[in-house]
Amino acid sequence: MPIKRGAEDLSYPSKRSRKALDDDEYINVDDDDSRELQSPPDTGLVPRGATINISALARKLAEARKSKEGEDGAGPSSRQFQNSLVSHIFQDHDFSWLHLKADHASRPLWISPEDGHIILEAFSPIAEQAQDFLVAISEPVSRPAFIHEYKLTSYSLYAAVSVGLQTEDIIEVLNRLSKVPVPESIVTFIRERTLSYGKVKLVLKHNKYYVESTHPETLQVLLKDSTIREARVHSQPTDNSIKAATFTTSKAPVKGNLVIPGTKEAEKKKGESVNGKGPAAAGSSTDAELFTSVVGVDADEVDEDDDNVHAFEINDAKIDDVKKRCNELEYPMLEEYDFRNDTVNANLDIDLKPSTVIRPYQETSLSKMFGNGRARSGIIVLPCGAGKTLVGITAACTIKKSCLVLCTSSVSVMQWKQQFMQWSNVTDRQIAVFTADQKEKFAGDSGIVISTYSMVANTHNRSHESKKMMEFLTSREWGFILLDEVHVVPAAMFRRVVTTIKAHSKLGLTATLVREDDKIADLNYMIGPKLYEANWMDLAAKGHIANVQCAEVWCPMTPEFYREYLREQSRKRMLLYCMNPKKFQACQFLIKYHEDRGDKIIVFSDNVYALEAYAKKLGKLYIHGGTGQVERMRILQHFQHSPEVNTIFLSKVGDTSIDLPEATCLIQISSHFGSRRQEAQRLGRILRAKRRNDEGFNAFFYSLVSKDTQEMFYSTKRQQFLIDQGYAFKVITHLDGLDGLADLVYRGRDEQIELLSSVLLANESEADLGTDVRGDAGDLAGTITSKDFGVPGVQRTAGTLAALSGGQHMSYVEQNKSANRKLAREPAARHKLFARRDKDLAAARKEARAAAKAQG
Amino acid sequence: MKAIKGVLLTCDSAVKQILLTMNEKQSFIIEDLDDHHVVIKADEEWRVRKDLEAELEKNTYSLE
Repeated sequence: MPIKRGAEDLSYPSKRSRKALDDDEYINVDDDDSRELQSPPDTGLVPRGATINISALARKLAEARKSKEGEDGAGPSSRQFQNSLVSHIFQDHDFSWLHLKADHASRPLWISPEDGHIILEAFSPIAEQAQDFLVAISEPVSRPAFIHEYKLTSYSLYAAVSVGLQTEDIIEVLNRLSKVPVPESIVTFIRERTLSYGKVKLVLKHNKYYVESTHPETLQVLLKDSTIREARVHSQPTDNSIKAATFTTSKAPVKGNLVIPGTKEAEKKKGESVNGKGPAAAGSSTDAELFTSVVGVDADEVDEDDDNVHAFEINDAKIDDVKKRCNELEYPMLEEYDFRNDTVNANLDIDLKPSTVIRPYQETSLSKMFGNGRARSGIIVLPCGAGKTLVGITAACTIKKSCLVLCTSSVSVMQWKQQFMQWSNVTDRQIAVFTADQKEKFAGDSGIVISTYSMVANTHNRSHESKKMMEFLTSREWGFILLDEVHVVPAAMFRRVVTTIKAHSKLGLTATLVREDDKIADLNYMIGPKLYEANWMDLAAKGHIANVQCAEVWCPMTPEFYREYLREQSRKRMLLYCMNPKKFQACQFLIKYHEDRGDKIIVFSDNVYALEAYAKKLGKLYIHGGTGQVERMRILQHFQHSPEVNTIFLSKVGDTSIDLPEATCLIQISSHFGSRRQEAQRLGRILRAKRRNDEGFNAFFYSLVSKDTQEMFYSTKRQQFLIDQGYAFKVITHLDGLDGLADLVYRGRDEQIELLSSVLLANESEADLGTDVRGDAGDLAGTITSKDFGVPGVQRTAGTLAALSGGQHMSYVEQNKSANRKLAREPAARHKLFARRDKDLAAARKEARAAAKAQG
Repeated sequence: MKAIKGVLLTCDSAVKQILLTMNEKQSFIIEDLDDHHVVIKADEEWRVRKDLEAELEKNTYSLE
C-alpha cells in the first residue's frame, strides 16, 4: 500500500501545477504538498480565498474519503477528486463560471451552454408563459412537478421558425427568461439553425418529387453532394453542369386565410385567420406584450418571396436518403403543402359535424401543424385517451383532399372508420377500407382510404385484388397521409410506405414517442419534426384525462421461492417472481380494498399461467387470448354493468384493444420486461375513466413487484417514461392491514410450498409472455391489438375404442373452477314457433282465469 | 476441534437465501441459525459483503 501511494504522489504535483496554471485561485497549493505526504486525504486543496461553505464541504468530503479508505483502501480514482472540490460533484457539468444576473431569482430558466438543455423552474410565477414559449422552440424531455427539462434541437428550431418565430426574438426572449446571459454557443447554434431553414423545399408535383429553392446557389451546393446528385432525375436532355436554367422555374405560392374547423376561431369569426393566434398568445394575457410579440407573428414574415422558384426532380426511391442527407448538410427540407392552392388534386368535401368541438390542446397541436396556412408534416404526441383520433380527423377535414390513414391492425382500421363517421360528415361512399378481408375503393375523385401498414408495405405475393388496390393507391397523389401509432412501425416498413405512396403532407400520431431501440430519430426525417407534445400533468389538471396515483408495491419473496429463484437460471425465474405468494396476498388485499371503495379494477398479467392461477384462486373473471368471443363479451358486459363483478383479470389482449371507461383502478402483476411503452399504454386504460371529472377523483395504478428480483430492475425502467411525463411513483413496502385480512390466501407455509411445487412443475413454456394472443393477417408484428384469435390446430391421437367412448376415464369433480364458468348464462333464445305457442298458452290461461272470475 | 473466528450476520430472509447460494460455490457459513441470522467466517466477511453488494446491484436500474 505505501508503495502505491508514493507512486501516486509522484504524479500528483504535476497535475496540481497544471491546475494551478489553469486557475489562479489555486496558486496557494505549494505549502500544502508537504503535509500531503504525511496524511493523504486532507483538506490541502482548499483555496485560501474560498468561502466558509466550500471549506466546510471540503472537510466533509475528506472525512467521507477517510472512512471509505478504511474499507477498501485508496483507489487511484479517489485521488482525482482532490483536484476540484465542489466541481467534482458536477464533473463535466460544472458551470459555476456562468454569472448569474442580479435578479436571477425572478427568472425561471437556465440554459446549458454545452448541449442546449434548458432547465425550467415550473413553480415560477411566469412558468406557464415560459412553457408555452419553450414548447414552441424546444422539445420537452422531462416534466415532473417542479423542474422541467427541455432540449433545443435543430428540429425544434426548424419547427419554431416555420411557425414564424424570428431568430432575434427567440434569443431575446430566452435572454429575458434566463438566469444567466444566454451562452454564446447557444446563440450561434440558434442563428445557424434558423438561418438555413426554409431555403430548400420538397414538393410533390404531378406525382413527382422536386427539390425546390428560391436560391439557385443552394441547389448547387446540394447537387455537389454525391448522394443527392445520384438521386436526381435528369428529365431534360442537358449536360451535367448545373445551371440555373436547367431548373424548372415557377411561381412561389402565396398564402391566404385558413381556419381549422372545430376551433373557437372557426366558430366565432369565420374566415379570420388563426395565424395571429399562436399557442402562447392565447394563454398569456398578463405578459402579453412579451410573448405576443414573439409567438403571435403576422404571416408575412415567413415569406421568402421570390417570384422564381428553381427546382430539380429526384427519384422517388431515394427520397429518404436525400432528406436525410439534406438534414446532415444542414439544409433541412421544408415539407409544406399549400393545399388550398392545389388545383390539381380534387377536393374532398368533408367537414367536422357542427356538434364536434375540439379541445384547447387539440387546437394548439393543430395550429402548430397549420401554423402558416399550409400543412406541415410532423408528429403530434398526445396521451392515450386524449383524442388523438379526433386530431387526425380534424386535420383531414382541414386539408380536404384525398386522405390515406394507416394503422397497426385491422381492428383499429374499423375503429378509425367508425370515428370518421362519428365526427365528420363523410359519407359511406367516400370512405373505403383496405384490409386482408375488405378491399374497397371510394367512389369519385377523392376520398379516404383506411388500411394497415403491413397491407401497404407488403412486398410478397399479393392476391389479384390487393394488387389492383395497391396500384390504385400508388398511382394517385394523396393530399394527406395519417400515420397512427408511428412509434411501433419498423423503419424499413416505414420507408417502403413513404416511398411508394405519394403524399403531400404526413401526420404521425402517437402517445409514447419512445422506442426501446432508439430508432426515434429516423422518424424525424421520414415524417417530420415533433410538432406538439402535450403535457400530461396539464391535461390531468384540466380534467381531460384522469388524475392517477401511481404506486409500486414491493412484495418480499418468501424464502422458499427466493431459494428456487436463485437456482433457476432460465425463463422460469419470471414465473417464480410472478407467482410469489406475497404478491398473491398483496393483490388480494388491493382488490378487496378497492372493491370496498367502489372501484372497478382491472388486473393485468402478461403471463397467462399466472393470470389463470391468480384469477382462479381469487375467484375472479379473466380474459386471455384463449377466451372465446362470446364468453369475452359476456365477461366485459358483466364488468361494465353488473355491480357483482368489479374485478377482471386481463392478459396482453387488454393492453390496447379493449376499451373500458368504467375501470378506475389498475393492478399489474406481471409485465413485459422493461417496456416503457406498455407501461404507458396500460396507464392509458384508466386515463379515460368515466368518473374522472368527479370531485377529488383519483384513479389508481399499482405495480406489484417482487423484491430482490430482476423485476425491480424492469419495473424502474418501465416507469421512466411516465416519470418524464410528471408522474410520481410512490413505493409501498408494507400494506397496512394485510395480515389482518380474514381469508388471506397462502397464509400457511404448507400452502406456499404446495404452490411452489406446482410452479416448478409447470412447463418452461408457461413462462412465455403473451403467447395467448394471435394477430390477424394484416396486423403488425409486435402490436397486439387483435380481438379475434385462431382456432387451435387439430391433433391426431391413437387410442382404443373403449378409451374413445370414455371407458377408461376417471370421473372427477373440478374443485378450483374458474369464475368464468360460474357466470350466469343468458337463457337460450326460444324458437319463434315455441315463443308464439307460449304466448298463446299464456293468453288462454288468462282468459280462463278471467272467465272463472266472472262466473264466481 | 479448532476454533474459528466468526461474525454474526443479521439479514432479511432474501439476503440469507443469496448467502446460501453463494455458500454453495465457496463455503463460508459456519452456522445457519434461523431465517435472519447466520454466522460466517470472519476473514471471509469482506469478500462476502462485496459479492452480495454486486448481486443486489444487478436488480437496480440506473439511468447511466
